[in-house]
Amino acid sequence: MTDGLMRVVIGGTWRLDDPLPTIAVKGDRVRIESSDLTFFDSSLPAWIFGNFKNVRQLDLGSLPPRLQSLVRIAEKASVNDHLGEVPGVLAQFGSWGMESAGSWGRSFNHIGNTFMGFARVLVGRAKVNWMDFALQLQTAGVDALPIVALLGFLTGLIMAYVGLIQLRQVGATVYVANLVSLAMTREMGALMTGVIACGRTSTAFASQLGSMNVSQETDALRALGLNPVEYLAVPRILAVTLMVPLLATFATFIGVFGGMIVACAGDLSIEQYLTQAVRAITFKSFLVGFIKSIAFGFIAAWAGCYRGSVAKRSALGVGEAATSAAVLGITLIVVSDAIFAVIFNLFDL
Amino acid sequence: MSADLADILTCDGLAIGHGSKVIMERLTFGLAPGKILAVVGPSGCGKSTLMRALGGLDEPLAGTSTLFGINLVTASSKDRAAVLRRTGFLFQGSALFSSLTLRENVEMPMREFLKAPQREIRQLAEYKLALVGLADAMDKLPSEISGGMAKRAGIARAIALDPEVIFLDEPNAGLDPLSSGRLDELILRIRESFGTTVVLVSHEVSSILRIADLCVYLDPDAGTMGAYAAPKTFLQAGNHAKAHAFFKQTV
Repeated sequence: MTDGLMRVVIGGTWRLDDPLPTIAVKGDRVRIESSDLTFFDSSLPAWIFGNFKNVRQLDLGSLPPRLQSLVRIAEKASVNDHLGEVPGVLAQFGSWGMESAGSWGRSFNHIGNTFMGFARVLVGRAKVNWMDFALQLQTAGVDALPIVALLGFLTGLIMAYVGLIQLRQVGATVYVANLVSLAMTREMGALMTGVIACGRTSTAFASQLGSMNVSQETDALRALGLNPVEYLAVPRILAVTLMVPLLATFATFIGVFGGMIVACAGDLSIEQYLTQAVRAITFKSFLVGFIKSIAFGFIAAWAGCYRGSVAKRSALGVGEAATSAAVLGITLIVVSDAIFAVIFNLFDL
Repeated sequence: MSADLADILTCDGLAIGHGSKVIMERLTFGLAPGKILAVVGPSGCGKSTLMRALGGLDEPLAGTSTLFGINLVTASSKDRAAVLRRTGFLFQGSALFSSLTLRENVEMPMREFLKAPQREIRQLAEYKLALVGLADAMDKLPSEISGGMAKRAGIARAIALDPEVIFLDEPNAGLDPLSSGRLDELILRIRESFGTTVVLVSHEVSSILRIADLCVYLDPDAGTMGAYAAPKTFLQAGNHAKAHAFFKQTV
């Protein structure tokens, strides 16, 4: 180093596969010279660019012209297409607030559009893809029967097992039939089916609609004068809203049967169990479960369609949409279940 | 039209297509190192299919093609990997990995093939991105940048390992004239700086005239190559009638 000028001499062979030397840059004036430089690939200009890009005065005059050009190109080429500055913390907080508000706005807009779509279906003015509707009745409904049956059966079975252990202590094992029947009819049948619909159908809808966003198919629908919510979301939501109550009813009966297996393997006869179960299942409790399942079906399908329609246009965005659809759907189902509990209590149902 | 021993890329009697359907056949030409070859022709004539076959991504239906003197169809997996290490691809939609930032996209092939520490890989990736004018967008995700920037990032990834041959599929597609011009300059700059051989598929005749040394015109009516010459010769009437008509219509 002389007079504040750092002199760097480079030479030899520079290849991508070879380790690069480390250097401590001192001062803001550097002169790089070459001596016996036999071969170099992009590792050498990358090393010079990386180590000396912040030097105020960099003299490359004595380097081979091709090397000079490769370093200068990288320095000059940093011209970008309208990239903003990194925002401060306050601005980031503001952006987050705006984004959250926008997200709520978009979700309410989507719900509004969905109900408008339903209204237009009722008056016969909607352009709906009825093929999709038929397909979803099959895939979201009939195809879900095995998983709904399995989980419903196991839920009833587990409840009966836990119930038996507790009720045996007070000599009231016969009431295990009431416990299982009432819980399955009012609560678990609808809740389990709603959760299954979120995991199975919501994510599928989010992926389908998200992929259509990526490939600009939704834009093409708009260009054709079709409303994507009406054309794509309404048939899906309608199909799931119709199928989930049926599936929930099926899950309820399968759950009661699951409970019977455990109860009858222990302390009860089949006649005792069925008599108690029929006494426990009233029209009111069936209605409560049925109303809930309609709402849960709507929520599960809407969450999938909504997250898919606002998915980012990338493979990552589609994956995020599927995940967030399941999370949103399950969260809304549990929240609405709590609200239903309060409302039904108020109306003595 | 026949291939030369010194050619870096050759094809001899090549037939390409989808499944068993032949789109183009009897393709025979060679390309010398450091040259830029443009593959042109009407939509659907098999330009991208030819490029994929030349780059070893698809098997040709008949004939042979070699890259660095190696037939990628019959080569051992080790030779094939060694050849692919010396080539780079830019796909039509850029094909950047959407879950990775631009820097991570460029770093990925380096991590796979170089035994360098993270610091050096990072330095190399930053340099490559600076080279294509994306020094300030390194930490952006592909979904956060424009189409022109995505093309440039795709090129940065294609040249990550200093390939000797790069294949560019429709690099100018969907770009405005300014971005398209910048991209042409970038391709020329890469060729001049690294001596890279470039094979590009394009519809942009003005861009081809600006950068290509040689041009293969694929004639869908004949089902084979209609011409193989310097692109400027296609502008002159009397030379290669169909290629001339194609160039005159699109200029």
